[in-house]
Amino acid sequence: MSAAVEVMKAATVSFPSQAWFQQLADQMNANRARQEQLGYVDCVAQFTVLDGGPGGAPLAYRVTFEEFSAIAVDEVPTRELGVADFALEGDYATWKEMIENIVDGHGRPDLEHSLNRLSHMGTPMKLVSTDPVQADCYFRFNQSLQEFVNACARFTTVFGR
Amino acid sequence: MNEPIRVENLQPLDQPYLMDEAQLADYEASYRNDYHAWAQVLGENVERIRRGSYSLHWLNTDGGNWGKRAKPSSRGLTYTDINRVRGYGDIPQRADWFNFAPRGSIREPYRDRMPVVTDYVVTNRDELWADNVITLYEEAKARQWNATKDIPWHELEALPEDLEKATCQLCTFLTEVEFVAGDFPAKWLYRTPQDFLEVKSFLATQLMDEARHQEVFRKRAIAGGGLLHASPGFEWALKAILDAPSHTMGTFLLNLLGEGLVLSVFRSGEMIAKTQVDKEIFRRCLQDEARHVSYGVLELKNYLATHPQREQGIEEMHRFADVGEQVILTAFTEAALIEPVAVLLGGGLKHIDKGMEGLAHMWRMFIDEYLQRCASAGFDRRARCTIPLDLPWGVAK
Ligand SMILES: [Fe+2]
Ligand SMILES: [Fe+2]
Repeated sequence: MSAAVEVMKAATVSFPSQAWFQQLADQMNANRARQEQLGYVDCVAQFTVLDGGPGGAPLAYRVTFEEFSAIAVDEVPTRELGVADFALEGDYATWKEMIENIVDGHGRPDLEHSLNRLSHMGTPMKLVSTDPVQADCYFRFNQSLQEFVNACARFTTVFGR
Repeated sequence: MNEPIRVENLQPLDQPYLMDEAQLADYEASYRNDYHAWAQVLGENVERIRRGSYSLHWLNTDGGNWGKRAKPSSRGLTYTDINRVRGYGDIPQRADWFNFAPRGSIREPYRDRMPVVTDYVVTNRDELWADNVITLYEEAKARQWNATKDIPWHELEALPEDLEKATCQLCTFLTEVEFVAGDFPAKWLYRTPQDFLEVKSFLATQLMDEARHQEVFRKRAIAGGGLLHASPGFEWALKAILDAPSHTMGTFLLNLLGEGLVLSVFRSGEMIAKTQVDKEIFRRCLQDEARHVSYGVLELKNYLATHPQREQGIEEMHRFADVGEQVILTAFTEAALIEPVAVLLGGGLKHIDKGMEGLAHMWRMFIDEYLQRCASAGFDRRARCTIPLDLPWGVAK
């Protein structure tokens, strides 16, 4: 593990927050060699916590992937897709359970908690897109997206805004 | 007493003779016929070499695109980067070079002396172009993986027999179908003129992807117990793809419909996988498959958008889809596919009924995704779709 990754391991970040997704992005960008093995990721993904905001309002985070990096992480005030190719939506409890499961598995979810497992039937997570070719980005880069969220095992998550 | 067996005494086995004498004779006759064309070139070359003189005509850049250097972008040097250089990126609407002379080279002075490859029959750019084809080619190269070492095979553990057999049967189905998705692009790859090099390059990546898919499912089955049953229904669907009358029709049937459904099977496979090994296999494969599907959607979209008689083009696609959907349905209703999926979905042979309920739910999703892909390509198939929107499971009971 590189020194950069070691440093990040010490971080404690709350979920859901822009900083939490930024941590995932930082982890990804610190592991460029792995990204080069997996290949290009070119898409804008939105991760939505449907009831993560004040009063149970949705909170959405838009991550822009380009080449081997996550180049931007933005909190967006609405669950509308905007420039995102697709959104992966789930409620707070589902996100929390998935993150805890990945942490328990030291960076690998069990059979019941992979992104595709949770989203394939449209529940408890849901893939949202307005165009099938843009929705296909979720599949084209699925291993990379899985490893993007798996990186949450490298830092400490505290739950609650 | 018998003679001892010695190598020199062994008779050759009675094997069928593999060379087709008539084909060899045809080949000889053909090149004798064209002798005046190529032997003249050979004669001039030999004479020049004997004289000890140089031609150096290749230093002359007239009529060429010499001197405009391509610049790499952040990813290296892509087709998009070199296509920006004037003279290289003009993809002809209609190809009229039926040999291997590279697009952008100085080739016009030699046109009359070059052979014609009669197999290059896809002359219309809009029979194969898709706006995402260069992106998908770069992505495919960057996202290759190795079925031998990238799957954690050492973690594979034996499953209860019903689940193992269901997994191995699903893998047998996938092994059977994967290579048509290689043979179909291969068939059209060699019919495509060199001027459409970007599409040829992408099709070559699809060939590699499908080789790997066939490999990984074959390995998974044999590592888990063995291959199980081949099925006539799969075979008819595969033959219908291979026999498609045009590249666009076959690409619709293979990439948009067939691989769209296989992508759904991979996603379902990942969801119902009983081992991390299977999860990783399906996740890796579904990434490749989604590229093939994306090409299929945008190829059809471009074909219809540029069709000189759009209504007629759409009607022809409908006629083709009327047959194609039914033949694909023959595969996707085979017991050797839906039953193992139901067993995995239900969690065992005892729970196959529960699995079929889940499959019925997925079916609706799969067909809806297919219709969305058609609509996105400008091909509204919803009113004419011959595949039932709901799996008619048990309606006759
Ligand atoms: Fe495949
Ligand atoms: Fe494929």
